[in-house]
Amino acid sequence: MFAYISRRLAVSFFILLAASFAVYVIFAFLPFDPAALTCGKNCNDPGIIEANRRRLGYDLPFFTQYFLFLKGLFFGRTFGEGAALINCPAPSLGYSFQQHACVTNLIGEALPVTFSLAIGAIVMWLALGIGLGILAARFRGRIVDRLSTIFVLIGTSLPTFLTGLLLLVFVVIRWGLIPFPSGNYTSFFENPFEWAQILFLPWLTLAFAYAALYTRFVRSSVIDTSNEDYIRTARAKGLSEGVILGKHTLRAALAPIATMAGLDFAGLLGGAILTESVFNLPGLGRLAISAVTKYDLPIIVATTLLAAFIVVIMNLIVDILYAYIDPRVRVA
Amino acid sequence: MAKVKKSTGIAIAAVLALAVVAGGLIQMSSGGSSKGGTITYLTHSEAWTHADPNRNYTGQHIAWFGSYMHRTLTAYARAEGAAGSDVVADLATDTGRSSNGNKTWEFTLRDGVSFEDGTAITCEDIKYGVSRTFATDVITDGPTYAIGMLDIPSAEDGSSVYKGPYATSGNDTAAYDKAVTCSADNKTITFNLKRAVGDFNYTTTYLSFSPVPKAMDKGDAYDMAPVSSGPYKIEKYKSKDEMVLVRNTNWDKKSDPIRNAYPDRIVVRFGLAEEVRDQLVLNDSEKNSMSLDAVLPTNLPTVFDDAGNPKAAFAERALNVYDPYVTYSAVNVKKLPCLDIRKAIYYARDYAGLIQLGGGAAFGGDPADGVIKPLMGLDYAKVTGLDEFKPEGNPEAAKKYMDAAKTACPDVYAKATDPKRGIYFDFADTDTNKKAAAIWIDSMKKNAGITMKFNYIEAGSYYAVVLDQTKQGDLSRAGWAPDWANASTVIPELFTETGGFPMSQNWGDPAYKAFKEKSDAALAEPDRKKQGKMWAELNQYVMDQMWVIPGVFSKTQEIWGSGLGGVFFWEPQGAPSFGDIFIK
Repeated sequence: MFAYISRRLAVSFFILLAASFAVYVIFAFLPFDPAALTCGKNCNDPGIIEANRRRLGYDLPFFTQYFLFLKGLFFGRTFGEGAALINCPAPSLGYSFQQHACVTNLIGEALPVTFSLAIGAIVMWLALGIGLGILAARFRGRIVDRLSTIFVLIGTSLPTFLTGLLLLVFVVIRWGLIPFPSGNYTSFFENPFEWAQILFLPWLTLAFAYAALYTRFVRSSVIDTSNEDYIRTARAKGLSEGVILGKHTLRAALAPIATMAGLDFAGLLGGAILTESVFNLPGLGRLAISAVTKYDLPIIVATTLLAAFIVVIMNLIVDILYAYIDPRVRVA
Repeated sequence: MAKVKKSTGIAIAAVLALAVVAGGLIQMSSGGSSKGGTITYLTHSEAWTHADPNRNYTGQHIAWFGSYMHRTLTAYARAEGAAGSDVVADLATDTGRSSNGNKTWEFTLRDGVSFEDGTAITCEDIKYGVSRTFATDVITDGPTYAIGMLDIPSAEDGSSVYKGPYATSGNDTAAYDKAVTCSADNKTITFNLKRAVGDFNYTTTYLSFSPVPKAMDKGDAYDMAPVSSGPYKIEKYKSKDEMVLVRNTNWDKKSDPIRNAYPDRIVVRFGLAEEVRDQLVLNDSEKNSMSLDAVLPTNLPTVFDDAGNPKAAFAERALNVYDPYVTYSAVNVKKLPCLDIRKAIYYARDYAGLIQLGGGAAFGGDPADGVIKPLMGLDYAKVTGLDEFKPEGNPEAAKKYMDAAKTACPDVYAKATDPKRGIYFDFADTDTNKKAAAIWIDSMKKNAGITMKFNYIEAGSYYAVVLDQTKQGDLSRAGWAPDWANASTVIPELFTETGGFPMSQNWGDPAYKAFKEKSDAALAEPDRKKQGKMWAELNQYVMDQMWVIPGVFSKTQEIWGSGLGGVFFWEPQGAPSFGDIFIK
């Protein structure tokens, strides 16, 4: 197992290196000038744009820029001169002149928000989706199954921004069932109650959408597994339905769920853009979308790389978990 | 244990009683206003465009930061109506003393003025603050009047030989030291100007004439942590989250006759969804809050009647007034070098649809006939030659100009009518603007056969993007208000190459040379009446060339919670007088 993980980590490193290069190439050839973009709204002086280009290192050859970017990850970088000198210590992902901060700091502030959002949401949707999916399969064709179908239809039809907005306007503002949060985000370690209070509706919004999909998936997976020969054998041996479901059916039926949940979780960590926007959560999704609309290249590169990193790592974790959940699968 | 609990209880009761008494004292009224509490401002923007005083330029931002944090040499009077445009002394003891035919201006600092850490504000701090304006590569987006007015030579490329305080080489600091001098006691600052500026003390109302402590300046990063010279200082400021201001204990009311400093705490909540922001105020869920953004048009009927007057429930917490702005669509003349196409766009536009989208004329304002508003008095004259204008669009006129364009400028015509290319319009990315885009697309296609496409830009960074000439589209939506009551802060700013807001990029137009000469002559004209006539003629010239598609002489609506008092519209800034708002 150790050799397997080491091998996968080495491969992951090269995947990330390739991703960083690809992102850099893409942005190097986009039809806009990053030096002009940092120059501000009154800037129409080519001399200033050239000065900016030198200050930010955009006048250097492409490979030198890429090398400096990589070097910054390990040794940090400085930008500007005199009293306006900016120092971004390692691991430096550059400096955002739109946000007036080192990108690593911005990522460091946004990541816990998105992680908090994703972790709560996945717990909610797995509990709801798996629970409802099992019930729907167990009582196939009965009222629970039909209700779950309605839930699935609503959950998959409603876009998250609408669910979120409806929850905010009615639950918080109109009916006052939950007080309007006093801040946009509070760390779990600072105030766990406020942390949960701020994130409850965003969790619910995401859980509603994802749980619907998981309910449908778990239901069909459990039904399929229930028709397997070894389940029939277990039933013939006189095992109770509870034991059959808990020990035999679910173990096999839920294995694919681990893959699905891992990738969905990775996707969310990359940024739940709509949910973060509606609930005003300062997470990675909003950081990324704001950077895209402002052409804030250092942040775009950093968030893209981070998303790639998360997907690579989550894939690794899922593969390892898979082996534990389903004994038929062995690490190659 | 019980004894401990009892004594603790008594202590708590005593503290509470004291708090109530203290609270009563704090809430003590003075002339209808009261001190204490927390005012919350709500906005859809992710952060302030800038918090650095040298980079504040919009009226709302200047009004907000000028009320709470940044003091400057002079300021506008805190009064309703025209009286608000009077200049009063702020950090200075008076509104400035001019000599040398208005080419030299002197200001002396008051006693007892200090930064938030208690350090006394000196002439050198003002001088350093002004010097940052010259670092145009780092201190972006702010007004550049200091560069244009101070008597500092220009380099061969036309830029100033002084490059600001950060440049480490090729910088003529002696030239700056000669243009701006401090007295021996470090209390009096003198500005030597390259031309006569009779109203230079209006220029010094800009926060770019605020003091900045050199030791605390971190260039670009100062935007997130500016040092206060006013009644409040920053406790927290985080983009996409919030800004929290608390009292600056080193601010002395005796040295500041114009700021009230009513609340104890001021919070700005950034990044709220537009509907959520409006609903919080409309439902009065946050009684001590005020929206910093325009009310969504769909919510206007909840607040105002058809005539635009606040309904009874909102009589005390809504305003609908003419602001100093003129909205327009700047034509990028470099990309649309065809007068006939520009005219076709003007006549094809469904103005009525657009104004209706904004809630109708009662809320949107009146059709503009140029960039100078009638409120400007001397500088305004009705623009002629726009007789074919019809609010719902005039397809006959539009087609007439399109036909003319077919032969006069076939390349631009081909681009405008090609569904694959079309004319690109820059819009801030808001829900309302997307609906406006639909009206533009429809009316252009229907009335002139023009294909219009849209480039949506995040609202907070809209101007930073469109004023980048490499990024600007064919048309860009904009609004402008005079920096003070003279169209010298409108015409040259918008339509000359060295202006601060040159979105029309019209200096390649053959008509530009004559225009520039007349604009320079108007700037130098000492007779204010004659000067006003010249600005009106230049406004006509702009419309003859259709360098902008005029929008509206606009109105603005403000809403706030029932817990706030003292709100009035501060005309020179086109924003509420934030410093006068208190909690009832």
